[in-house]
Amino acid sequence: MLALCQFLPGPNVANCSIVLGRRWFGLSGAAAAFSGLMALPFVWVLALAALYTGYGDDPLLRAVISGVGIAGAGLFIGTALKLARPIARRPVALAIVAGCFLAVGLARVPLLVVLPAALAVALLAARKRWI
Amino acid sequence: MAEIVAYFLLLSLLSVGGVNTIFPEMQRFLVEGGWMTAADFTQLFAVSQAAPGPNILITALIGWKVAGLGGAFAALAAICAPAMVITWWAGALWDRMRDAPWRVVVERSLVPVIVGLVLSGGYVLATPGGLGWRNILIAGSSAAAVTFTKLNPLWLLVLGGVLGALLFR
Repeated sequence: MLALCQFLPGPNVANCSIVLGRRWFGLSGAAAAFSGLMALPFVWVLALAALYTGYGDDPLLRAVISGVGIAGAGLFIGTALKLARPIARRPVALAIVAGCFLAVGLARVPLLVVLPAALAVALLAARKRWI
Repeated sequence: MAEIVAYFLLLSLLSVGGVNTIFPEMQRFLVEGGWMTAADFTQLFAVSQAAPGPNILITALIGWKVAGLGGAFAALAAICAPAMVITWWAGALWDRMRDAPWRVVVERSLVPVIVGLVLSGGYVLATPGGLGWRNILIAGSSAAAVTFTKLNPLWLLVLGGVLGALLFR
C-alpha cells in the first residue's frame, strides 16, 4: 500500500489518506483522512511562518534559518544517497542519476522536458535489465 | 497567484515518487518567475522542515508569502488535488495488478530518476547564494549524518541552525 503511495505522483501523505479513506469509508472517509492529516500541520507551519515574518529582518534569525534550510537540504542529499544503495553498482542507473542531476540541478532545464526523457530511458533500461 | 496555482496543478502530476522530486522544479519556477529569491525559497523550506508535518506544506508557505492565507489554501490544494484524483482511481487498479511483471519494471526504473531529482533538490536548496565552503560544510555534515547514522533529523536541523548563526551572521 505504501509502495503505491510512493510510486504515484503527489504527496505521499495525501495519497495514503485517499487509499485508506477509500478502502474503509469511501469518498467522505478519504476527505476526512486528508483533512485530519493536514489540518494541524497546516496551522503549525503558518504559525511558525507568521512568527518568522515578525522577526524576519533580524540578521541573526535569518542566519539561523539559512543554516536550518541548508541542513534540511543535506537531509535530501543523504536520503538520495540511501535510496541509491541498491543501484550503486549499476552503471546505467548511475548514468541516469547523473543525467538528471546535470539537467535539473545544474543546467536548470524544466522538469516538463527532463522527466519524460528520463523516464523513457529508465524504462528502457529496466526492461533490458540494466537497472 | 493564479499562475502559481495553475503550475502547481501541473507539477502535482509530475511528482513521481513523492513531492521531494519536484522541489528543484518548484524553486526554478518561482525564482525565474521573480516570485522570490533563491534565498527566500531556502528560508521557506527551512520553516517547513522545522514545523511538524509533511514536506509538502512548503507549498502552503509559498502561497501564503505570495497571496496570504487564501494563497496558502489554494497552493496546497493545487499540489494535492490532481494527484489525489489519480490515486482514487489507481487504488483499486493497483490491488488487482499486485503481481504484474510490468509493475516491477516501472518500480525499478523509477529509482535512478528519483535519486537524481532528489539530489538536485538538495543541491539547489543548499546553494541559494552559490556553492561555498559554509554550504558544503552544513549540508555535507547533515547528509553524512543521515546516511551513516540513525540520528533524529531534528538534531541535524538544530545543528544547522547553530552553524548558520556562527557562519552566516
